[in-house]
Amino acid sequence: MTIPLLLYSLAGLGLFYFQNLLLFPQVRLRLLGLLLFYVGLRPSFLLAFSLALILGVLQDSYATTPFGLHLGGGLLLVGIARFCRRRLLLQKIGPQIIASLGALTLQEIGFMVTLLLLGLEPFPFHDLLAFRGSELLATAALGPLMYALVLGLEKLSSRYGWRPMSPWAQE
Amino acid sequence: MRPRTRFRNSLIIIATLLLVISLLSLGLKRSSVLRKVEGVMISLTAPGLQGLYYLGRTLRGVWEGYLHLVGVQRENAALRRRLVEYEQKEVQYQEALQTATRLEALIGLKQQMALPITGARVIAYDPSLWSRCALLDQGQDHGVKRGLPVLGAGGIMGRIVETYPHYSKVMLIVDRNSGADAMLPRTRVRGILQGQGGNRCSLDYVPKSADVQVGDLVLASGLGGIYPKGMVFGKVNAANKKTQGVFQEIEVTPGVDLSALEEVVVVKVVNLTLTP
Repeated sequence: MTIPLLLYSLAGLGLFYFQNLLLFPQVRLRLLGLLLFYVGLRPSFLLAFSLALILGVLQDSYATTPFGLHLGGGLLLVGIARFCRRRLLLQKIGPQIIASLGALTLQEIGFMVTLLLLGLEPFPFHDLLAFRGSELLATAALGPLMYALVLGLEKLSSRYGWRPMSPWAQE
Repeated sequence: MRPRTRFRNSLIIIATLLLVISLLSLGLKRSSVLRKVEGVMISLTAPGLQGLYYLGRTLRGVWEGYLHLVGVQRENAALRRRLVEYEQKEVQYQEALQTATRLEALIGLKQQMALPITGARVIAYDPSLWSRCALLDQGQDHGVKRGLPVLGAGGIMGRIVETYPHYSKVMLIVDRNSGADAMLPRTRVRGILQGQGGNRCSLDYVPKSADVQVGDLVLASGLGGIYPKGMVFGKVNAANKKTQGVFQEIEVTPGVDLSALEEVVVVKVVNLTLTP
């Protein structure tokens, strides 16, 4: 699983660079969150879990929020994606987009609750609606592109003899 | 679902929760292990970011330098005129500064002295909205330490909160965890400049009786020992006295666009107690 993890991590890092150098501050998107959600929908749980750890540490390292906030958020996204995969059987892109929007919203709420529990002041609710709503909607709308990226990475990984169905994924 | 799978899933959830809670707890205490993990991650990923930043800068420089020269001469002449004006003002300011220094020394005030500055480039911002910070290309190897103030072209950018061998992290003044003592030079009113996220700050704990007007400059008061006295935080954008309680609601716009800074300076500050 080392090669696919490396490939997915590099893709995540590329998205982080893209976001930081080209999109910020005009465009705000949750590309890494979306990547984690779509990887979470794929068969290998271990890959999604490891990727959430790596990308979580990456985001936490560049932030001033308590270490673990983004990591926890990433793991939550993977958890929701696994739930959607098993219970809702998301096959078509439309429901996947709606599910990703729900997952990103839950992640946002999770951030707010965690910051409240840690005694830090989160954003006011009206700020959340004004700034985050459009950010989450735009991110979820990029679902088809992210899905294509994840499938592409899966195909690339299979060239190196990796099969997405790991023992951890048998449910 | 088989019992073994259910047991495994519960175990994964519990282990994950424990991991996240432990990390958050250690993160709040600024654990040295986590700082090392952060340092390793930044050392691994920041060079790529820095390389791409310089590449983009070079390409932009080529574009602006060779293909976009229209109006440069005119701009140059205007800048020269402004430089002459500023040089004249500088002389006046130097005189005023010397007078103030003498007076402060006479009354034995604790004074903050600014030492030589270190130029730095912003190579990354935290793209999430949950925190507002930036990464500089100067670190411990260049003498940058935690707590040093960082200035942009039009005012204070923030302060160093973390240093790594080649990089350092700046908490911007608009970060919700940022707070600093500030004053309005026109009326000498003081308050706490609190980051509000996005690109906004507020000046808190200013009584309703205080005279605050839109456009008033907000400067560092020098108290707290982080930002040298007299440096610009920004301007008052709105002041609302129709609030509950005894304090006004004052919105402050930072003096610099904190999302688009490229070159900044790190001020090496030391506190000296002068004796007359």
